[in-house]
Amino acid sequence: MKVSLNTIKQYVDFDLPPVDELVSRINQQLGGVEEIIDLGAKYHDAVIVRIVTCAPLEGTDHLNVTKIDDGGVTKDVERDEDGRVQVVCGAPNVRVGMLAVWLPPGATVPSTAEDDEPFVLSAKPLRGVVSNGMLASPRELALGDDHDGILEVSPEEVTSGSVAIVPGANFAQTFGLDDTIIDIENKMFTHRPDCFGQLGVAREIAGILGQSFTTPSRYVDDPQFENGDGLELEVVNDIPDKVQRFMAVTVKDVTVKPSPLWLRCELVRLGGKPINNIVDVTNYVMLQTAQPVHAYDYDKVGTSRLGVRLAKKGETVALLNGKVEALNDTDIVITDGEKPIGLGGVMGGRETEVSNQTKNIILECAHFDMYTIRRTSMHHGLFTDAVTRFTKGQSPLQNDRVLLELMKSVMTVAGGEPSSKVIDEQSLQTFSERTVHAPLSVSDNFINQRLGLRLTDKEIATLLSNVEITHDDLNYIAPYWRTDIEIAEDIVEEVGRLYGFDKLPQDLPRRTVIPAIVKPERALKDKLRAILSRAGANEVLTYSFVHRNLLEKAGQDPRHAFQLSNALSPDLHYYRMTVLPSLLDKVHMNVRAGYEHFALFEIGKTHSFDEDGDNFVDEDGVPLEGQLLSLALANGDFYQAKAITHFMASSLGIEFTYEPLNEHVLFEPKRSALVRVDGEPIGVVGEFRVSARRAFKLPDVSAGFEFNFDTLLAMVSDTQSSYTPLSKFPSAERDVTLQVDRGLSYAETEKAITDHVAKLDVKVTLMPLGIYQPEQGSTKNMTFRLQFTSAKKTLSGDEVTAIMNDFASDMNTKLKATII
Amino acid sequence: MANTDTVQQELLARIHDSEQPHEVLRAPELRALADGLKTLPPEQRADAGRALNQLKKSLQVAIEQRQAELLDRDVTPIDVTAPFDVNSDRPSLLPTENGTVHPISREIQVMSDILQRMGFMVFESREIDDQYHMFESLNFPAGHPARDDFDTFMTVQTDKDGEPLIAPAHTSTMQNRIMRELKPQLEAGQPIAAASIDRVFRNEDLDPRHEHTFYQHEGIYVDKNIHAGMLVATLKTFLESYYQKSLDVRVNPFYFPFTEPSFEFSMSCPFCEGGGCAVCSQSGWIEILGCGMIHPNVLKMAGIDPEVYTGFAWGGGVDRLVMMKHGIEDVRYFQSAKLDFLRQF
Repeated sequence: MKVSLNTIKQYVDFDLPPVDELVSRINQQLGGVEEIIDLGAKYHDAVIVRIVTCAPLEGTDHLNVTKIDDGGVTKDVERDEDGRVQVVCGAPNVRVGMLAVWLPPGATVPSTAEDDEPFVLSAKPLRGVVSNGMLASPRELALGDDHDGILEVSPEEVTSGSVAIVPGANFAQTFGLDDTIIDIENKMFTHRPDCFGQLGVAREIAGILGQSFTTPSRYVDDPQFENGDGLELEVVNDIPDKVQRFMAVTVKDVTVKPSPLWLRCELVRLGGKPINNIVDVTNYVMLQTAQPVHAYDYDKVGTSRLGVRLAKKGETVALLNGKVEALNDTDIVITDGEKPIGLGGVMGGRETEVSNQTKNIILECAHFDMYTIRRTSMHHGLFTDAVTRFTKGQSPLQNDRVLLELMKSVMTVAGGEPSSKVIDEQSLQTFSERTVHAPLSVSDNFINQRLGLRLTDKEIATLLSNVEITHDDLNYIAPYWRTDIEIAEDIVEEVGRLYGFDKLPQDLPRRTVIPAIVKPERALKDKLRAILSRAGANEVLTYSFVHRNLLEKAGQDPRHAFQLSNALSPDLHYYRMTVLPSLLDKVHMNVRAGYEHFALFEIGKTHSFDEDGDNFVDEDGVPLEGQLLSLALANGDFYQAKAITHFMASSLGIEFTYEPLNEHVLFEPKRSALVRVDGEPIGVVGEFRVSARRAFKLPDVSAGFEFNFDTLLAMVSDTQSSYTPLSKFPSAERDVTLQVDRGLSYAETEKAITDHVAKLDVKVTLMPLGIYQPEQGSTKNMTFRLQFTSAKKTLSGDEVTAIMNDFASDMNTKLKATII
Repeated sequence: MANTDTVQQELLARIHDSEQPHEVLRAPELRALADGLKTLPPEQRADAGRALNQLKKSLQVAIEQRQAELLDRDVTPIDVTAPFDVNSDRPSLLPTENGTVHPISREIQVMSDILQRMGFMVFESREIDDQYHMFESLNFPAGHPARDDFDTFMTVQTDKDGEPLIAPAHTSTMQNRIMRELKPQLEAGQPIAAASIDRVFRNEDLDPRHEHTFYQHEGIYVDKNIHAGMLVATLKTFLESYYQKSLDVRVNPFYFPFTEPSFEFSMSCPFCEGGGCAVCSQSGWIEILGCGMIHPNVLKMAGIDPEVYTGFAWGGGVDRLVMMKHGIEDVRYFQSAKLDFLRQF
């Protein structure tokens, strides 16, 4: 929202503080300032001059050599004996006696001021004749598209303030272009439709500076319309729920022409673009009041009727931007009684556009439902000034006052007179004709408690009345333009903001010493990160969304994956079903980057649904989320992945068991294990299928794991510990090699051993030392170190030998093992 | 000439049983088809050529599949119950000095620890949610223009009301759930003090400063007699603890549907002591988060009486904090899984 300080000054009756201070107050109490534009700098050197002589330049068909009178104000410029300055001009309208705008040497052409290389004028010869700077056209002055001739300044132009139009007058000062424009973030005003007009912002600026503001009476008093006659007009509103109010009136005998200079300059200051007097006035009124309005060519409408309804499917409308839009049955259209002639609240139509030939017009001032306008705007990609304002929910109570202001302004710049009665189709849903929402009863205590302040009722009342929120004995009453003051908290916000949030007391909340609960999942994740990084693995974070290819490479069925409907890239079309494929996807690029032996891990959420499209919803009705802990190991085999797994389990104080895996899409069953904790399956550790290895370009030896985090969480508890008390007596050790059948698994062997030693009254710890299996042959050798510790005494060699003999015979019985 | 389909079936079957599936590409049937092409009238040649190409492609796919199958078949089985392979040494872990925790996880840990010490319970967020939690319960009615500010990812699949599910664009999607969960505690006289720090999503184009997937921290505090000054004091305390130095802070009014009043919160730049540096764009200030007093409608929707209780909430980005701290130039590195990047932390 661009705010002109010169315009603000017209509304307030006190002096504004310096720009820096004002900007800092706006930042603190109104909204973020995005940009401060020194408009005056752009026009700094432009001077009003009189053309004293004008003669054709010989040898050219359109250039004239002029001598101009600049009142002698410009320094460092070549003058003749009479003090005149020579300028060559190619404009057809240049003539002796006219007042024009001169850009002297050294001045930047305003229309190029924002270019990468602004055009700086100089004194240079044109066809051998020196031209000192230039006489400027409206386009060169950035005052519209007109480039047919130089800008002519009439001595009768309305000026800003008391500056007279004489040669030597500073152009910017004369027409208020010596302005500072403050651009405030629109986002801040999402709930403040009134702040999309200069008037609304002026009121706020007064409020935050602690000054009282009085809205001009034309926007407050009940409007007194003079009904005219001569032109028929009828309005039919079929959708009063979406268009609460629709006002229209005709004005006849207007003269369409360029706007007076003051109006053009006003528009330019506010970021608008002059077109013609009628269009300029409608824009000007909108920029001042925030209420978008529209003018139709009465004769082009042709039916003396305006209809308001929803579009029908298949209808189209040609808009002012030159495009033809195919309409939706949710779009509000304005019709000539039959066919659409404009997209209501969004953009006017081309067929009824006001042109230089227009004689009679219809002026419209209406209220449109903000949500409907938003949908239409989004659907058609139309983001106009009107849309920006209507989508914030303009107050329908301003329509009559704005329409009256519009009629007067039109007649001021274009002549004409009202030629119909003022039509006011309304079905207002507001609280009353003076206020949008019901008055609010809010106690001082309520306000003070929420702000931590101790303001008196008088202080509160003053802050609010500065912005024209009044108070009777019981209630706060918001003026009609404040659509946002709806609940008591809105009054609190208003008081806090106007008082200054930076002045609130900074007290910390107080609570008892009850400790905050630590969520176990967060604690476990932190622990897992620490453990796995200690095991040399690198934590990665990868996207939750994946390409369909990734799912397919991992053998997953995209039909069971949640799918994004509006992702910008196919890389993000699906929610990932598991985490491991995302990790495998990152192995190859790291190998290429020169890393050989590494492990990537991630703890991530996963989503999928089953065959029936059942989403496995939780109590809130949203899909259940799985959590996986996954690791990909490059250039490491099953046993290394298992070593990491084992390290993790023992660091967590839990025990994993491993058993052969049956079937798996990603893991190779012959070299992978199903992992359980307390009998509960928790995931898989293993090497990948060749197909997966190829699809992901993995090194030949690659392994990994994928564990269900939630199962893990359920199994881990802080109170578990694998600690056993230390014995006071020394231990004895024996290494033993069992020759067993080649097919006997390590687990079976280990179980037989642990079952055996469990019955002994000494503690035995078991450590595997090696497994030897010759290429041929039906047996293999497993070597263990057994450590014997008694809690009661030091074991003698004989005692240990006895234990070992027993052990050997039991192993022979159970495992058909030979001790060698 | 043999029909392409028949040839295809025949060759696919052969691949399926072949020990050297690649050989099938040299099958005489294929050659015959290729030769046959030359004899066709010119107007049929293009179609037949396409059919032949199609056939070759499908054979390629089948061959690759079969080759993988053969490779899978030739894989040596191992005893997965053993701690190490036969005739091998016990495997070691990877060198500890190579191990790293992701810088964002690390930062979340740091922030969570501070919040925890301040009495906040730290929650995680969701990655798929419904529009009720993302918008409605936070006082964004359907069609609310502020919904546009979020560029929310939507799913094809719908919730029970037929509305698309969404990928949460802010961790506030947890606010209603957290308040409901902790409401009994509030009624027992304990404040609700909770934070959620997790992954969020916005449908944005990627560039060095924009990610569609990033991390947010957010907190809420609800009790009797909570006022806006407490919000400022709490955030100041949190940030001072995070940066281990005293900071100046300021709030600018802002608009969010779920807080009233709403603020943008800025701190004096902790990297240059307010003197101006590259991190704060020479301004001495850094806009660090959004915050405000929880809107009474939001409290009501969580079953909390806004006449009795008031509260504040805040939300801010985690990625940016990490980037500022380490001078990371490109936000996309975070989810790139590049070891060059990760091993620096």
